[in-house]
Parts: sequence; C-alpha cells; structure tokens
Amino acid sequence: MAQQQLSEEQIKALQEKIKRMSPEELKEFQKKQCIFCQIIAGKVQSRKVYEDEHVLAILDVNPANPGHILIMPREHYSIMPQIPSDEVGHIFLVTKALSNASLRALEVQGSNIVVANGVAAGQRAQHFMVHLIPRKDNDDINFQIPQKTLSEEELQKIKYALSESLGTKTEETEKIAPVPIVPREKKVVEAEVKEEKKPTVKKNRIVKAKKRVKKETHKHKKKEHKIHKEEHGGHADLDDIARVLGAK
Amino acid sequence: MLCQIAANAILSYKIYEDDLTLAVLDVNGANPGHCFVIPKNHYPIIEQVPNDELANIFSVANKISSAIFETLKVQGTNIFVANGIPAGQTVAHFMVNVIPRKEGDGINLQWKPKQLNEEEMSTVELKLKDQIKNIGVSTIEKTKQPKEMPEKAEFPITDDEDDYFNRQMRRIP
Repeated sequence: MAQQQLSEEQIKALQEKIKRMSPEELKEFQKKQCIFCQIIAGKVQSRKVYEDEHVLAILDVNPANPGHILIMPREHYSIMPQIPSDEVGHIFLVTKALSNASLRALEVQGSNIVVANGVAAGQRAQHFMVHLIPRKDNDDINFQIPQKTLSEEELQKIKYALSESLGTKTEETEKIAPVPIVPREKKVVEAEVKEEKKPTVKKNRIVKAKKRVKKETHKHKKKEHKIHKEEHGGHADLDDIARVLGAK
Repeated sequence: MLCQIAANAILSYKIYEDDLTLAVLDVNGANPGHCFVIPKNHYPIIEQVPNDELANIFSVANKISSAIFETLKVQGTNIFVANGIPAGQTVAHFMVNVIPRKEGDGINLQWKPKQLNEEEMSTVELKLKDQIKNIGVSTIEKTKQPKEMPEKAEFPITDDEDDYFNRQMRRIP
C-alpha cells in the first residue's frame, strides 16, 4: 500500500517534517490529506443523506449492505478519544435517528453501528466515522466476535486498572484490588494470619498513592495531548500511522 | 439478565456507574477488557433510548475506550452495537460494546463491499432522505445550540413514532 511505495528515507524525512510542524500546521496537513474532509468541504462529490453544523452523513460507495451510511464530524479527528464528549453524544443521536429512518425506509430488520479506532481495529480512513449498516437475515455479513474466558484474577486486574483510569474506584473496588505481588519479607514468618493483612493494605495504599500521582500527570498530559497528539502513548502511533498513510 | 446487573442483583465486574448508565466488563469478552455500556432503564433497541440517556451512554463508551488505550496498551478499540436479531443482537437490552483490539486477535468486524449500480444507489438515497425528512432530524440544525448539544438536543418525536417503537419492540423476544 501507500507505505510500501515510499522508501524508508522518504518516510523518515516525512516523519521529521511532521514532527517540526506546529499543531495548526499539522491540522491543516491532515485535513488536506483527508478525502473525507474534502467531501465535507464539498470538493469531492458524495451522496449526502443528512447534514447539520456538526455532522455529515453520506452513503458509503462500497456498502456492506444497501443503505450503509457513514456519519462523520465536520471537524477532523482520527479516532474517537480525541472527540469532545458533547460532540460524541450528538454524533450518536444522529446515528440513532438515521438508524430509525433506515429501518423504515429500507425494510430491514436491524442495524449495526460500528466504530473502528486504529488500524488493528479495522480502521481504513483517517477521519473518524460511524458506520451504520442496515441488516437483514442472511445478508452475507459475518461479524465474528469470539468469546474468550479470562481468569477471575485477570478480570479483577483489568477492572481495577480501568476503574482507576476512569476515576470510578469505589470502596468495593478497593477491597478486591489485586494484591501486589511483592516477595514477602522475612517478618512474615513470625506474623500470624491476621497480621498478614496489614502489609497488604499498606502496600495497596502506597500503590494507590503512586497511581494517583501517575494519574495526575496523565491528566496534564491529556491536555497537552490535544495540542501535541504525538506525545501520548497509544494514540500517538495511530496518529503517526494515519499521517504517514495520508502523506503518500 | 442485564436488568439484574443494573439492579446489582448478580455479581458483575462493574467499572462505571452514574444515574443513567452502567459499564461492566464482559466475563466472556472477545478480548481482555471487553466492556459493555448499558442504560439502567430497559430498552431493547437504540431507537427506544431517549436522547439524553443515549448521549450519556456513548460519551461513557468513549471514556472507556480512552481508558482502554491508556491502561491496556492495545492498538485499537471497536465500538459495536447490534440492533435487532439479524444484526446479531442476543440480549433484549440495548448495549454498546467497547472492544480492545490487537493485531491478529481473531475478531472480525469487516465486511465484503456489495456492488450497487448508480440507479440502486439513487433509489436507496431517495428512500432514506424521504424518511429522514419525516423523522425531522434535519430540523435540529435550527433549534440546537452547540452548547446544549450534549444531552438536551431533541429530535422531534411524533405519536406515530411510539407505535413504531412498540412494533419494533415486539420483534425482539
């Protein structure tokens, strides 16, 4: 694909150039490369089915089913975590209304709403969009969402990590927070069963305190992230990939 | 079953809760960290979920998606909704799946494009536009203030709408 047509040096040069851009330049650069921004600007033709000041909905030219609609914000975002909450809400209110309309208009019996954030999730365009796919029985669409089994311990760990990140940790969560696996000190040998609890609690507190600090720095980073998207972990790669893809 | 979760009746791996919305880890998730976000009130399909609740559900889903990116070091996330049985819905309670993704994780949310000719596309476009007009979505652009956008934006709903929703509801066991 696009990446393979560029030599390594070209990609490197491009990455350098992108790194040196100001946030405003970057945004402009992304917009210029983005076919969907061109559609939104009316420079490329499309079949619009709905638009308002924040959102545009068009028919997908390569539909999974007839009536497959793409709902996208007018603003250029690569992935959903970059979008402000109120805009996310609005995008999906429009999705709901369009789903309602397609159920009526197309004699279908259902719809799928699919968002892909990142290439690994199946994202192809670099402009965030919601796919609304009308569904009928036996329409030759086979989504596979396997069921995996996780151990209690793994589930607890994930629950703990996510609630921490979401800031929704409750007492209940804290109680079942995974005990950090730290080699026990010799003292424990003398300790009775009851006393064993103490160090655990302490450790937990320390870990929590550390995480709290970490979280605060996270928050700061998040603010910066809006401006310097390349700085923050997971999203950064995505942005880079999107940029390189768009830079062919 | 999901209403029981909402009522805290059975053990669940709850990660988020507010007045309207609940987010729970899927114990048989497609990937570690697979969550579903549900309204506390019972609605089988998206068309029945009131706008304020729906906007809240998806902004919670977005927060969880961000949290997944931050904590689980994944390469992507999917937001997935199955609305109706042909769409793969198995539980009659509206839910939004948030699925962490990595390369080669055995999940397939892709589709084969269908080829429609210009005429077929135009027919679909017209039919849709006609209904969208009836539903009155396009009127929001005049009434909606950007600041109120999040939870208060309302799509006008007529009485006819309710009947339609009821008919839809009966389709899902």
